[in-house]
Amino acid sequence: MAAATASAPQQLSDEELFSQLRRYGLSPGPVTESTRPVYLKKLKKLREEEQQQHRSGGRSTKTRNSNNNNTATATVAAAGAAVAAVGIGVRQVSGDLSYLRTPGGLGRISASGPESPLGGPGGASAAPTAGSKVLLGFSSDESDVEASPRDQAGGGGGGGGGGGCGGGRKDRAPLQYRGLKPTSAPLASSEVTNSNSAERRKPHSWWGARRPAAAELQSPSGRDGAADDGEQEGEDGEDRDPETEEPLWSGRTVNGSRLLPYSCRENYSDSEEEEDDDVASSRQVLKDDSLSRHRPRRSHSKPLSPLPAKSAGGRLETSVQGGGGIAMNDRAAAAGSLDRSRNVEESSPSAAAAAAAEQGGGFDPPDSSPIPRYRVNAKKLAPLLQPPLADVDSTLDSSTGSLLKTNNHIGGVAFGVDSPRIFSNSLPPSAAVAASGSLRINHSNHTGSNHTYLKNTYNKPKLSEPEEELLQQFKREEVSPTGGFSAHYLSMFLLTAACLFFLILGLTYLGMRGTGVSEDGGLSSPSVNLTGDSCHRKLGNIFLSVVKNSFDETFGKIKESEKNLMMNTLYKLHDRLAQLAGDHECGSSSQRTLSVQEAAAYLKDLGPEYEDIFNISLQWIFENGKDVGIRCVGYGPEEELTNIVDVQFLQSTRPQMSFWCRFRRAFITVTHRLLLLCLGVVMVCVVLRYMKYRWTKEEEETRQMYDMVVKIIDVLRTHNEACQENKDLQPYMPIPHVRNSLIQPPDRRKMKKVWDRAVDFLAANESRVRTETRRIGGADFLVWRWIQPSASCDKILVIPSKVWQGQAFHLDRRNSPPNSLTPCLKIRNMFDPVMEIGDQWHLAIQEAILEKCSDNDGIVHIAVDKNSREGCVYVKCLSPEYAGKAFKALHGSWFDGKLVTVKYLRLDRYHHRFPQALTCNTPLKPSNKHMNSMSHLRLRTGLANSQGGS
Amino acid sequence: MATSQKHRDFMAEPMGEKPAGSLARIGEVLGKKLEERDFDKAYVVLGQFLVLKKDEDLFREWLKDTCGANAKQSRDCFGCLREWCDVFL
Repeated sequence: MAAATASAPQQLSDEELFSQLRRYGLSPGPVTESTRPVYLKKLKKLREEEQQQHRSGGRSTKTRNSNNNNTATATVAAAGAAVAAVGIGVRQVSGDLSYLRTPGGLGRISASGPESPLGGPGGASAAPTAGSKVLLGFSSDESDVEASPRDQAGGGGGGGGGGGCGGGRKDRAPLQYRGLKPTSAPLASSEVTNSNSAERRKPHSWWGARRPAAAELQSPSGRDGAADDGEQEGEDGEDRDPETEEPLWSGRTVNGSRLLPYSCRENYSDSEEEEDDDVASSRQVLKDDSLSRHRPRRSHSKPLSPLPAKSAGGRLETSVQGGGGIAMNDRAAAAGSLDRSRNVEESSPSAAAAAAAEQGGGFDPPDSSPIPRYRVNAKKLAPLLQPPLADVDSTLDSSTGSLLKTNNHIGGVAFGVDSPRIFSNSLPPSAAVAASGSLRINHSNHTGSNHTYLKNTYNKPKLSEPEEELLQQFKREEVSPTGGFSAHYLSMFLLTAACLFFLILGLTYLGMRGTGVSEDGGLSSPSVNLTGDSCHRKLGNIFLSVVKNSFDETFGKIKESEKNLMMNTLYKLHDRLAQLAGDHECGSSSQRTLSVQEAAAYLKDLGPEYEDIFNISLQWIFENGKDVGIRCVGYGPEEELTNIVDVQFLQSTRPQMSFWCRFRRAFITVTHRLLLLCLGVVMVCVVLRYMKYRWTKEEEETRQMYDMVVKIIDVLRTHNEACQENKDLQPYMPIPHVRNSLIQPPDRRKMKKVWDRAVDFLAANESRVRTETRRIGGADFLVWRWIQPSASCDKILVIPSKVWQGQAFHLDRRNSPPNSLTPCLKIRNMFDPVMEIGDQWHLAIQEAILEKCSDNDGIVHIAVDKNSREGCVYVKCLSPEYAGKAFKALHGSWFDGKLVTVKYLRLDRYHHRFPQALTCNTPLKPSNKHMNSMSHLRLRTGLANSQGGS
Repeated sequence: MATSQKHRDFMAEPMGEKPAGSLARIGEVLGKKLEERDFDKAYVVLGQFLVLKKDEDLFREWLKDTCGANAKQSRDCFGCLREWCDVFL
């Protein structure tokens, strides 16, 4: 096999590819290693388009629609129609495709020779190995067709391996084989017709969804197709018929087998799709590819591979078969996937063998041989692939999550596939996909169908899928760009609302309870304040019970009748007092107590007998320490009562208020507290803000102070140097003079604090400056004297910064354009962004340019590209003449140790990059007259800030 | 025309030794992938662009296959290179 692969020539030479493309009206560039895949893909696309046009002549339109609808019959019919339409051409096409694929493989594919692809079915039957090689080559290629063959090959290999390895599963494999073989032949034809993976998928999905229906439908459809197609079609129809006839062999017959297998495939396809997605953003394309691939694989696992007969047809068959294979052996499926991945990565000889096996599968004799090969491949591959798979897992999971999502939307029907299978498959494909990103074919048209397909498959897998996938799916859904965002905020909002609600509820409860308790005067009454009559009654009952008990204790000697009377008395009194207190609380009554006389009168109204007992009751209340709801009060609230005679007023400890009153009081209380709370929060915020403000202000002042210190030192040092050059000058400077020279008059008052701090700082921390008193002009001044000798080392530190240092060369015709070309300039080497500090340095650059061009009042826009490594500054002038002037002023100058070069820039380019420059037409001027960048003798230390800030 | 700052930056000057990641819509990830395939400099990508005769479909397909760029990325990258060629070639 290795030899075969090695011998396999690139089926489409560069010249052939070139001429083919030319035939389609394309004028390709040189075909090289890197461009070849692109051209191959393009060629395939063109061919497909051509094919589709052929089809459209016949029933092509129908087929697509039917596919979308997921009706198996339609798809079958379409396939048949396609075959018919293409006729012989179909096979040729398939052969071409195979050619393409092999070249796409870039030599990876073993040489199955051009024959195999061309011969399609014939080649496959004759030499299964050759066919397999071709397939491998395809797999390496990127086209859909290619991908599908690969898949088939891989799947076949995997299936074979699985069958061989799994003892228990072997039994199944043979069964599947039987069923598959007959079907495979017809399938091959159908495959050929269907270049679109989507079409295939749809039928699959459909099948999976409705097994019984599928069987019925398929047979007629298949027959129709056969009739239309003629010989080829007839073959197809025959194949299909057997399939339909053997519904029992779900795995075997295309239709029947598809049920279980399909689900499996679907899973596979999904996983692949996911992987694809990860690899390439274009999901649809990927999905198509992956689907096609998956199907083939599985079918391969079954050995059926009628594919070889017709490469194109092989897909459908393989897919069907693959479904069966999957059902049979999980291992096989995994192996198949592995094989596939391997194939993709490197068209290894084993892969070729697997492919061969698949192709051979269609034919009984070859089948046996391919199976063993498969085993080997699968085994080898498995270890190799596993590590990569594990790596891929995470990505795959996520991708699966997305896929699942889509599935959910659609709402799939059938899912009999095993989750483990899915995983294994999905993982290998991912690796494969990663390896060959170019495999994805364009099948945007089929996206819709894919989705539906996925749906069906997904539902099934869900049942058995590991939790991880479900979790992933869940994650995906959460993250979904559209719903996720709003949903997130909605949940937050609900949570907050609920919290607020409960908070207010609690406060209200507290408030209502608090008001009641507060009226108790701190006594904890067992009765919570209820409202209305029930409250009233309850209070009464409690009161009665308390009174009763007390009576039993203290007035045991009193007669029973008197007891009752007394209780009644107290009860009535209590009611009356409670009502009174309630009225008082609610504001309708100014009085909350009842004087003893009033109480007596009240009782008297009720009945004369009450009046008699009143004093005894009162005494009892007074003597009884317990809270019975009635309190005896003297004249003053604080007055300590020692005698019953002192009791002047009676007061209820449990005011009875109406519900509305209660509610109002509670509301007021809650509102009051909320207001207090808000006030507190606002206060805290204000304080914090103020603190922050103070802090930033402090920082700002400190910064200004340091700036000032630097300036002062600069001035002093400069002055000192000037003194050494000019002996007439005094070697010290009066402090006020320094201040006046550094701070503009309008700022002096504002900067006083800064100045004072700077002076203090200098006095405390600057050893090179000495403060002394001097008499100048008759007045005593505090002066600063720079006492550090102007050491050479210090001078080195004082590198002039941001100053123009003269012209490097004279401008003449050789190094400058004779006339101004555009009004825009690009100035290079103005700065080194790495060396710049602070965030205002670009202003210093601007200033320097303006100062250099101070005689040029045509500069309207300056942009410093702070990120450019070349130190680029862009300048726009009013007219090309001004730009020419600026060019002469700037070009070839030394600035900050760098040689500045200037180029003209096109105006539209300039505006493109700096749209804001469009409206600039007011000439810029230097912001001060100091010309700091020009007079490099004045300031020696880098004072970018002084320039930028001023 | 709404173009990204990166696009404008790239268009503003000759590409020199800029890395492939400086192309419009080619970020760190795609740039790295391109680098892994030896398309480390923008001018190498430009070379491929030119070899494909500035054909949009082909170039975008190639970019997609090479570094997994999505439709928007490949379109903007193509536009960036084409514009650059319009200006500087």
